[in-house]
Amino acid sequence: MIEKGKISALQMALLMHPTILSTAALSVPAITMEKAGTDMWITPALSSVVGFLTVYLSCRLHRRFPKETLIEYCRSILGAYLGKAAAVVYLISFLYTMGIILREYGEFIVGTFLVKTPMIWVILCLVAVCAYAVREGLEVLGRAAQILIPGATFVIFGMLVIMLPDMHLKHMLPILENGPLPPLLGSIVPMSWFSQFIMVSFMLPYLSQPNKGLKWGYISVAAVLITLLAINLSILLLFGPLSKEFSYPFLNAVRYVALADFLEHIESLLMAAWLIGMFIKVVVVYYAAALGTAQWLGLPDYRPLIVPLGFLAILFSIWAAPNYQALKEILGTELPFFALTMQVVLPACLLGLAAIKGGRAT
Amino acid sequence: MSKDSSDLVSPSLEANLRALQGLYENCADVYYREFNMGKKKAFVAYIDGMVNIDQLDQHVLAPLMREGAADAADDAGGLPSILSVADAGPIATIDEGVSRLSGGSVLLFVDGAPRGFALGLAKWEKRSVEEPAAESIVRGPREGFTETLNVNTSMLRRKIKSPAMKIVPFEVGKLTRTKVLLVYVEGLAAESLIREVRERISRIDIDGILESGYIEGLIEDNPLSPFPQIQVTERPDVVSASLLEGRVAILVDGTPFTLIAPSTLFSMLQSPEDYYQRFMIGTLIRWLRYTFFLITLVLPSLYVAILTFHHEMVPTSLLLSIAKSREDIPFPALVEALLMEVSFEALREAGVRLPKQVGAAVSIVGALVIGQAATSAGLVSAPMVMVVAITGIASFMIPQYSTGIALRMLRFPIMFLAGMFGLLGLMLGVIAIVIHLCSLRSLGVPYLQPLAPMKGREMKDVLIRAPVWAMRTRPRLTGRSEPYRQPPGQRPKPPKGNDPS
Repeated sequence: MIEKGKISALQMALLMHPTILSTAALSVPAITMEKAGTDMWITPALSSVVGFLTVYLSCRLHRRFPKETLIEYCRSILGAYLGKAAAVVYLISFLYTMGIILREYGEFIVGTFLVKTPMIWVILCLVAVCAYAVREGLEVLGRAAQILIPGATFVIFGMLVIMLPDMHLKHMLPILENGPLPPLLGSIVPMSWFSQFIMVSFMLPYLSQPNKGLKWGYISVAAVLITLLAINLSILLLFGPLSKEFSYPFLNAVRYVALADFLEHIESLLMAAWLIGMFIKVVVVYYAAALGTAQWLGLPDYRPLIVPLGFLAILFSIWAAPNYQALKEILGTELPFFALTMQVVLPACLLGLAAIKGGRAT
Repeated sequence: MSKDSSDLVSPSLEANLRALQGLYENCADVYYREFNMGKKKAFVAYIDGMVNIDQLDQHVLAPLMREGAADAADDAGGLPSILSVADAGPIATIDEGVSRLSGGSVLLFVDGAPRGFALGLAKWEKRSVEEPAAESIVRGPREGFTETLNVNTSMLRRKIKSPAMKIVPFEVGKLTRTKVLLVYVEGLAAESLIREVRERISRIDIDGILESGYIEGLIEDNPLSPFPQIQVTERPDVVSASLLEGRVAILVDGTPFTLIAPSTLFSMLQSPEDYYQRFMIGTLIRWLRYTFFLITLVLPSLYVAILTFHHEMVPTSLLLSIAKSREDIPFPALVEALLMEVSFEALREAGVRLPKQVGAAVSIVGALVIGQAATSAGLVSAPMVMVVAITGIASFMIPQYSTGIALRMLRFPIMFLAGMFGLLGLMLGVIAIVIHLCSLRSLGVPYLQPLAPMKGREMKDVLIRAPVWAMRTRPRLTGRSEPYRQPPGQRPKPPKGNDPS
């Protein structure tokens, strides 16, 4: 095995939480608002079904192939040629996902905080830190998540609490004005975020207590659901139908925060907390891409691949979209179908095939 | 020259004398004294300044030169029985003799005897036991280790009297032949840990060990890290406490600084006094220390980042007063911060090195020139002086000096990042440091244990300083031989009621 470290199930859950949440918290409220209107707060609950499903699929696949990652059991199930082909599609999709994430991050930072800094430098710095983290292996990532994530989550929930006095429940009403269809439609986009739980298939083989993987996977999905629900609700209650006018409604909500005439404009603090989540998110995808590529090529170590893959991901981030509007368009239209196909439908097919074959890992 | 050094001690006195003189050619500090024991010839050899001459005269030379001593010496093995010296052992080879001689023993050779004798009469000028200068505390024992090894071990033995405390000797350094002691408590320190330390010390092949820093540099897990992975102390109580937690200590002859391993970042942030004072203040001080740990690392960078990129974070009135004081400053905030931080580091270093007589001069120059004059000359702003001063004080709050150095070093790259990318750069720098800390190990123990990997039970000594009766378990380092320190129910509950009112 390439990865020798072990992580605990709790660490896996902590790694996955920001992997879903950090970009979702930025753009999901605005995107779902367009489809679901004031019912947008329901969408996380609906779309989290996909999260639970993905975790379930990965854990079932993991039980059949306890020592293999997604890339490895692609080949075990589909055979040498088809399996390799499927694996390479996955690897490219990881790189593409990483590119999209980096672009979202870059657009956010350059659009709001470092207006005059070239985006490429902002992205490059993050990728450099992530490359260092990936180089240190999964064990270190798990520990870093254990230290960084509680603090970041605390900051975000603290901000929600400070916003409480300005929230108005009347913005929620009427509930389900146009029937259940709008929230259902609106939940399709967040589904693509929840489907990223497929990344657990790169951590399940390295759990110190493998039987706890499913439980903590579900806990992680539930935690994402709660956080997303809290963020969506707070934005809705704060801004009401106005929410869809903003690119980053949660940032605007935080800008709104004022406490004791001293704690004002704490959006930079949000940026700091959010950067931690962003870092974990990039690192998880980066790690999956590096480990997967090494397994695909049959290399003894994934470390030599880190720099070239990081470079490719930066290129992907530039190619992903010409501007922020186009990126948002991709996130709202193309990506959900791409992500759901790759991260839910295909694993489900794999599981079905494996069940038909009845083969267990050798 | 040393061709016959491993030779056995010869029955011929002449041969032994020649062998020693050959080895110690051109060594003016080695003295030989030949004398007669009745009809037999004999000689003693010793190194000047390392031997108690009075005792040599009274307890060795006097009884031997007395009439009749030669009869006892007929049976050479019986010689020590007429010498009133506690440590008198036979030596079989010249090599053995040389190592005893350089350790301060007196060598005694008698003509015709198949063996020589080493008499432990070592005595040299040594520093008396004093309060450690670098680790002073308000409450707690005031003694510190000295440069002399047996004084140090005696201090430990006085604290842990159980024979379970083991002291294993090593000799390291081809030329210095420094004595290095591995101390642990059997049954508390994990077998694997002891084996690992033994192996790492035995692997050392070097010409000389002059300070425990040499050993530290040769046995640590990650030599390319700015953070120390082995704790250093000159306090016997700290060493004893660590031994009781299942750690091992490494004592090196010639230095009061003792190594403790494995150690974590949190053990470096603990002061012995946390445990001697009441637990509430211990907890509070600990949190104060954690806060200032972060301040040391990020305060100047935060100031630079906010002034350069995030003005809006500062309340308007404060921002106005900062802006007013920065009005005349010709430099950007980053340059200003670097200027001040570098000169502060220089002042600190100068303060450590300089002779005591001029110390006052430097502090006056530092306070007046760097602080007062630079501000009024418009080179630096007053808030910046404050930031640098707070950072400086914060770095001295960390009990482990070397950890403070690591932080002081790392705040410069973070300052650059903050100057380039604002809060984003600062956070990226901090994240990189966190990853590095997560990847470190100290003799196999993760450096951030018990925070990451999380060990809930050990938080009682990290997040708080639990009361003594609540600290029932030892930290789990590499093994878990004897988890409990005390039975439950030690919480004092004085009887109540039936009081005469």
